[in-house]
Amino acid sequence: MVLATAAAPAYAFIAYVSNEKSNTVSVIDTDSWTVTKTIKVGQRPRGIDFTRDGKFVMVAVGDDDTIQVIDAKTQSVVDSLPSGPDPELFAQDAAGKILYVANENDNTVTVIDLEKRARIGDIQVGVEPEGMTISPDGKTLINTSETTNMAHFIDTASRQIVANVLVDARPRFAEFKHDSSEVWVSSEIGGTVSIIDPKKREVIGKVTFEIPGLRKEAIQPVGIGMTKDDKTAFIALGPANRIAVVDVATRKVTKYLLVGQRVWHVAFTPDEKYLLTTNGVSNDVSVIDVAAQKVIKTIQVGELPWGVTIAP
Amino acid sequence: MKVWFLAAMVIALAGTGARAADPRYPDWPCTQAKVPEISLAAVWAGPPLGDVQSKWKDDAKVSALVAKLSARKTPLDEAEKSVKEFLAASASDKTTNAKLLFAGLFDTLNAQRSQVMNGLERVSRKQREAADEIREETLQLQALQGATPRDEAKVEALSNELIWKTRIFEDRHKVVRFVCEVPTSIDHRLFALGRVIQQEME
Repeated sequence: MVLATAAAPAYAFIAYVSNEKSNTVSVIDTDSWTVTKTIKVGQRPRGIDFTRDGKFVMVAVGDDDTIQVIDAKTQSVVDSLPSGPDPELFAQDAAGKILYVANENDNTVTVIDLEKRARIGDIQVGVEPEGMTISPDGKTLINTSETTNMAHFIDTASRQIVANVLVDARPRFAEFKHDSSEVWVSSEIGGTVSIIDPKKREVIGKVTFEIPGLRKEAIQPVGIGMTKDDKTAFIALGPANRIAVVDVATRKVTKYLLVGQRVWHVAFTPDEKYLLTTNGVSNDVSVIDVAAQKVIKTIQVGELPWGVTIAP
Repeated sequence: MKVWFLAAMVIALAGTGARAADPRYPDWPCTQAKVPEISLAAVWAGPPLGDVQSKWKDDAKVSALVAKLSARKTPLDEAEKSVKEFLAASASDKTTNAKLLFAGLFDTLNAQRSQVMNGLERVSRKQREAADEIREETLQLQALQGATPRDEAKVEALSNELIWKTRIFEDRHKVVRFVCEVPTSIDHRLFALGRVIQQEME
C-alpha cells in the first residue's frame, strides 16, 4: 500500500529464482515485487542464468544430470543441454555462444556450444568444481574447486589449466572486476574473499568479515555482486544472514545488511537500482535498494532458494 | 512372523538414529543439525537490547503481544501484521517498544525452542530403552519358540506384548520426525518477526 504512493520504478524486470528443495523456479516481477509464476523443473535446481539475448533461462538441475532450458516467453521448460553429472554452476562467454559447466561429481568442466546445444569438449579440473566465471575479454575461465581449495585459471582457447591459485577453504564463487584488474573468490569455510591479480595470478589481498556477537564459523561468504563502476561489492554471508557491503578500493566492509536466513546468491537489476538475494532457510528473496544500501522488500518463494538471474 | 519383522525394523531404526547423531549430542534424534541456542546477532542488527532485556515482562501490553506472537497457532502473516500495527500506534515510544517487543520474542521463542529440544532428547532416550527391551524380548521369544515342549500360551503372550511395544515405538518414531521440524519453524518465526520489527524502526 505504501509502495503505491512511492515514485514509480523506471522499468519492470523479470527475475528467475531456482528453489533447490521444491524443484521449481519462481518468476518475480520487479515492478510489483510478486511471484507471478512457479515453474516445475528437474531435481535440485541450483545455477541459473539468462542467455545473453534474454530469450531463455538455463537452470542446472544437478540430480537430473542436465541443464534445462526455459523459454522466457512461455515460461516453460522447452529443452535441455548435455552437461556432465551433477552440474551446479555455469558461465557463458560474452557473446553467449559457449557455455562452461562445472560438474560437481566428475571433476570436469563441460564445454557446450549454445547455438547447437551440443557438447563440444571437457576440461579436467580439481575435485568438486564449483564457482565459474569468465574474464571480460573471454580469454580466461576461472573455476574454483571446493576440495582442493584452488582457483584454476583455464585458457579458453587451448582449454588447458594455465595456473592454480591457492585460496582459503572451500572456494565457492568467483567474480571479475569489470575492468579485469582483479578476481574476487569467496571461501565459505575460510570465511574470506581472496583478491587475485589475474596477470600475476596471485592473491594480492583479502576481504575479512567481523560481526559482533556472531561466531566466525557462522560467517560463510558465497555469492558476490559488483557494481559496473567497480566501486561497491555486495557479498552474501550465508548463515550470518547478512550481506556485506564492501568498498572495492579499500577492500573494507562499510555496512552489513540483515536480509534473510542463509543468504546464498545475489543479482542486480540491469539498471543496478536493486540487488536481489536468495535466502535459503527463510525461503525468501530480499530486495536491496543499491543506492540507499537498504533492504526494502522480502518476497516469499519456494523451498531453499539458491540462485537468481534477471532478464537483461 | 509379523513380530520378527517389526522387531527387526525397530533395531534398524534405532541404528539409523545412532549413526546420524552429532557426537556432542548423543540423544539428539533429528536429521536437522542441533543448534542449542539462536544467537542474538544472527537475527538482530538493530540497536543493543541491553537496557530493555529484562523489562519487557513488566510491560503488560508488550508481554501480552509477545505471548500471542510466539504461539504457533498464530499464523505468521497475522503475527507480522500485529507487529506493524503495534509499532505504528507507538508514536514516540516506537524504538523502545520495538526493542521491548523483540527482547520478549527472543527470550520466549528461544525458551520454547529449548523446551521442544529437551523433549525430543527425552523421547529419544526412552526410545533407546524401548528398543533395548524389544531386542531382549525378541531373543526370549526366539528361545520360547525353539523350546520342546513348546509353551504355546507363553509364546502367544510374549508375541502380543512385542507387537504392542513395537507399535508404540513406531508411533513415537513418527511423532519425533514431525516434532524435529518445530525448532526450525521457531527459528523462522523469530527471524521473520525480528525483520519486520527492524524494518518498522527505520
